[in-house]
Amino acid sequence: MKLKVEFDRVGIQEPSIAKAILETGIAANIERAVIDGDEGWTLISVADEETERFIAALSRPGVSIRIQKNAVSHNVTECVDCGLCISICQKKVFSFDEDWKLRVEPERCVLCGRCAEFCPQRALSILK
Amino acid sequence: MYKSIDEINERIRDGSVRVATAEEMPDIVEELGTAGALKEVDVVTTGTFGAMCSSGAFFNFGHPELPIRMEKMYLNGVEAHAGVAAVDCYLGATQESETLHSDYGGAHVIEDFISGKSVELEARAKGTDCYPRKTITNEFTLDELNQAIMVNPRNSYQCYSAATNMGSRPIKTYMGYLLPGHRNITYSGAGCLSPLPNDPTYSVIGSGTPLFIGGANGIVIGEGTQHSPGAGFGTLMTTGNMKEMSTDFVRAATMTGYGVTMYLGIGIPIPLLNEDIVKQTAVRDEDLVTEIVDYGTPSRDRPVIRKVTYAELKSGSVEIDGEEVRTSPVSSFKKAREVAAELGRRIENGTFLMGLATRPINAVKRNRPMAEKGNTVYVSELMETKFVTITGQESVKEAAKRLLVGETNHLPVIDSENRVIGIVTTYDVSKAFANDEQDLSVAEIMTRNVITISPDSPVDFAARALQKHNIGSLVVVDKNRRVLGLLNSYDLGDLVGRRG
Repeated sequence: MKLKVEFDRVGIQEPSIAKAILETGIAANIERAVIDGDEGWTLISVADEETERFIAALSRPGVSIRIQKNAVSHNVTECVDCGLCISICQKKVFSFDEDWKLRVEPERCVLCGRCAEFCPQRALSILK
Repeated sequence: MYKSIDEINERIRDGSVRVATAEEMPDIVEELGTAGALKEVDVVTTGTFGAMCSSGAFFNFGHPELPIRMEKMYLNGVEAHAGVAAVDCYLGATQESETLHSDYGGAHVIEDFISGKSVELEARAKGTDCYPRKTITNEFTLDELNQAIMVNPRNSYQCYSAATNMGSRPIKTYMGYLLPGHRNITYSGAGCLSPLPNDPTYSVIGSGTPLFIGGANGIVIGEGTQHSPGAGFGTLMTTGNMKEMSTDFVRAATMTGYGVTMYLGIGIPIPLLNEDIVKQTAVRDEDLVTEIVDYGTPSRDRPVIRKVTYAELKSGSVEIDGEEVRTSPVSSFKKAREVAAELGRRIENGTFLMGLATRPINAVKRNRPMAEKGNTVYVSELMETKFVTITGQESVKEAAKRLLVGETNHLPVIDSENRVIGIVTTYDVSKAFANDEQDLSVAEIMTRNVITISPDSPVDFAARALQKHNIGSLVVVDKNRRVLGLLNSYDLGDLVGRRG
């Protein structure tokens, strides 16, 4: 499961992620991080069964955590199932089903936004 | 055994016609043989749905009370060609809006018309005795136009090269976003379901052949522009009534970084008149070979990376240099199937009849590239071949001396085999001195990401690279990255003088 973790100017000062990992021993994978002096966000993936325990360890003032589920919004009216997004996305969010219809697995998304930028039909958007 | 068009049309009229898709044909022929398939199947339907840039439409708006001969005209801010008389125009699909640029273009106007939306016309004229009016602004829906006739100079490519990018930077192309280091491959066309691969000899497809275009029953006008069947790249010029079209089969699109294009569904029925025609429709994706070319090289003759079949492309990955590279289409195979299915329904319903071509299409000619009449100047003609270099182990102080001796601002850093590994500029060296770092090695301060160019590139491409990267000099290298010279931005100044 992926967690979208946001830090405000207070939360950013503490090594919150490191503490949570050391405390729980959970092998969390930081998939993306945009962090600077006074705020930031990161996308952390942890095993489904360990999600709850990791959230508890990471929770503190200045840190907001939510489970990222539907990061990619796919407009099926606009989409023509060309599949151009498939090879652009290196996280394998997109694939064809057996009928050449586009299948979207938003839980794989790391919010890079490339699919939305390059979709010829403008049928994809990223909900950050 | 032979069948005539009349016999087939008779079956279409009485509802007994037997239709198969081009996708189903290989198995049918394998099972029944060509004679058996000819007996069992009357018409094979094909379909493709992809970006067809070379498309557009003629419109006629009717004459207003005070007549005007429109000379400059815009539809929803997109310029249409008004060099036809007097209230006619041709709107090209890729023409972009004056205000919204690549977010809206001719294809969007066409899609808006088809979806029933109202489109604003703005036109100007100089005013004449017979056409006194000088300006007009009005709104139109598709129903209100006298004619809206799609006429597309080049559609339905027989086959198209697949694209990858061997370069070190991502590129935005009409084949989509190509990641650096050949990390993806994009391709276009429906393979064995596409119209032309099912009749590469143009035995039934010719001028006047009925076709399905964007939802309308249209016709093939004849060969398309750049028609090159001898090289396997045949094309068709097509037409159809926009008033019969549907947005299920016509969609405006924007290839980011390239521009507006139009996705269009085209299907051609192949009446099975004899066994030779049956054999052609038994083509499989495994038989259709195209090339993967490097779009990272911005020239007409892009290097071919390897040959590939549509079966491999459609499998989802193709091997390049021992690595599995993910593929994805630019065109929609699902939509191509919908085109073939809808065409089949119309034939079975008796609303789409077959017809013989009135003129054949040349099946062997080859397209000629543009011969530029002596205007192209290449990097090798302008580059500075007297230059100084330095190695990474030498000091910044030495670099400073070398720059002074060479009276240059750019110092390529080379390895023991004269291959470029970096570059230092007077700026880098001054900065190092200002920070008291003159004793550092060149390797520690050099820029490793060197923008290089081949001596065979046209200078226009060099100018674009200088501008894009905001730099003053390009390092000219051979295939092995050995330094041949420098091309400085001020060298391009000579060119302007020469042209003037």
